[in-house]
Amino acid sequence: MRKSLVALSLAVAVVPATVYSNTTINGFASIKAGMTTGSDEQLYGYDDTPDFKNESLIALQVKSDLGEKLSVTAQLLGRGSDDFDVGFEWAFISYQLADNMTINAGRLRTPFYKYSDFKDVGYAFDWLRVPQGVYGLGFNTIEGLTFYRTAQLGNIDSTLQLIVGRYNGDTSFGGSQVSATIDNVAGITLELAKDAISGRVAYLTGKTSVDTTPVSLAPGFTIGNLYQALTANGLAPLVAAIDIEDESSNFVGVGLTYDDSNWIAVTEYTRVEVENSFFATQKNWYLSVGKRFNSFTPYISFEREDNSANVDIYQPYTTVLPPQLLVPVQGVVMGQERDASTWNIGVRYDFHPAAAFKAQFSSEDNETTGQRNGVMAFGVDLVF
Amino acid sequence: MLSRFLAIVLLLAAAGTVTPVAADIAVIVNPANTATVTTDELTRLYTGRSSALAAVNLAESSPLRGQFDEKGVGRSSAQLKAHWSKLVFTGKGTPPLELASEAAVIEHVASNPNAIGYIAASSVTDTVKVVLTLN
Repeated sequence: MRKSLVALSLAVAVVPATVYSNTTINGFASIKAGMTTGSDEQLYGYDDTPDFKNESLIALQVKSDLGEKLSVTAQLLGRGSDDFDVGFEWAFISYQLADNMTINAGRLRTPFYKYSDFKDVGYAFDWLRVPQGVYGLGFNTIEGLTFYRTAQLGNIDSTLQLIVGRYNGDTSFGGSQVSATIDNVAGITLELAKDAISGRVAYLTGKTSVDTTPVSLAPGFTIGNLYQALTANGLAPLVAAIDIEDESSNFVGVGLTYDDSNWIAVTEYTRVEVENSFFATQKNWYLSVGKRFNSFTPYISFEREDNSANVDIYQPYTTVLPPQLLVPVQGVVMGQERDASTWNIGVRYDFHPAAAFKAQFSSEDNETTGQRNGVMAFGVDLVF
Repeated sequence: MLSRFLAIVLLLAAAGTVTPVAADIAVIVNPANTATVTTDELTRLYTGRSSALAAVNLAESSPLRGQFDEKGVGRSSAQLKAHWSKLVFTGKGTPPLELASEAAVIEHVASNPNAIGYIAASSVTDTVKVVLTLN
């Protein structure tokens, strides 16, 4: 509440400034409603009660051009899922080194995916939401430094981005929020575009730490308790093989887009690895195809998630571990197993020059749990 | 549920077919400007991929705006707005300045050597130079 008030007063305070300096204010908003198709289903934060808050959001962006190639940009965003508490999603200063080279410093979007930079700006894409099977990793913003360089190679447009920084925040683990850091983040992305076709590659590395010790495995028994018990039994090496403590991590993303302003097809493949930990290597991809009919863009997409649990971690210990330790170790490691496929079908309708109505049905088939989850959602995305 | 939804999608998709009344559009620059502008370069200027000239737009409420978006840039107004929102909300770009009327575009282009704009071909005056005509 207090944060929202601060943001509001900040926004109000900034308005008169537009008169005097080169400051622009833009914003975007999404109002979405959805529910699952069955009473025992849960997906994307929805259950079987219609909800208008979960995926709704509103953001205000203030950009001030200070002249001499220097500018400052701040984007304040409140998500319904956080009770519309406002936070800085982006906050950076930007210096233009040359016509085609820019350096930004501050809070930046981690450039994992093609749509990372504007994944909250629903108006910028046709889907009701970006494909969660690929975009659900988290770690969306980092604090650091990024360099952009655009160039024309013949008639191919290229954009190179280099980024360094650090993530220091939360991540969701087994349904609870735990603290996480990724130190020494370094990454490179390259996007090439010619006419209707564009391709993108991304590679990022870092040292990941996730403190899962407060997570409860059973009443009165946390992962931290498990680590203590293992260490007390002389199994510190097993703890080291399980925990996520300063582990080398890497992210690979490859994307391909075809958009002739009539047909639009997008595919992305991502691979996420955190070495020497219970984190299962994630290999996820999606393919989406849409066709524009004037104001209407129906689309269909398929997402695939393949995360194989690192069973090799505990296999050497299956005969030496007492069951009261082996079972929770298996639980922690196997909890990472995920094999799921999701179909989405939806439509974007540009009913207004600055707003789009969207409807999307998603059906997730989780092979690991044997559960099927469906969500029907509607919404309006707008920019102002 | 799914089949009913599909039916709605197909129904909605079949509904919209509107063709705007066509008028010739003149792409104009300052008379002092000796640049030649191809349709490719025009697209680049109005999508933020080139800043060789300072592009100005007509306001969204102008009927000529939608026609220019289609003929000059090759995209619908909504697609272009989606494109610009990607650049705006990542701090990567600012869309072309919007002017309220053709008279304002003529005045702006006539007084800015680096400006490029567009008006109906029938509105051209001798204070600006036509570099491209779209029909």
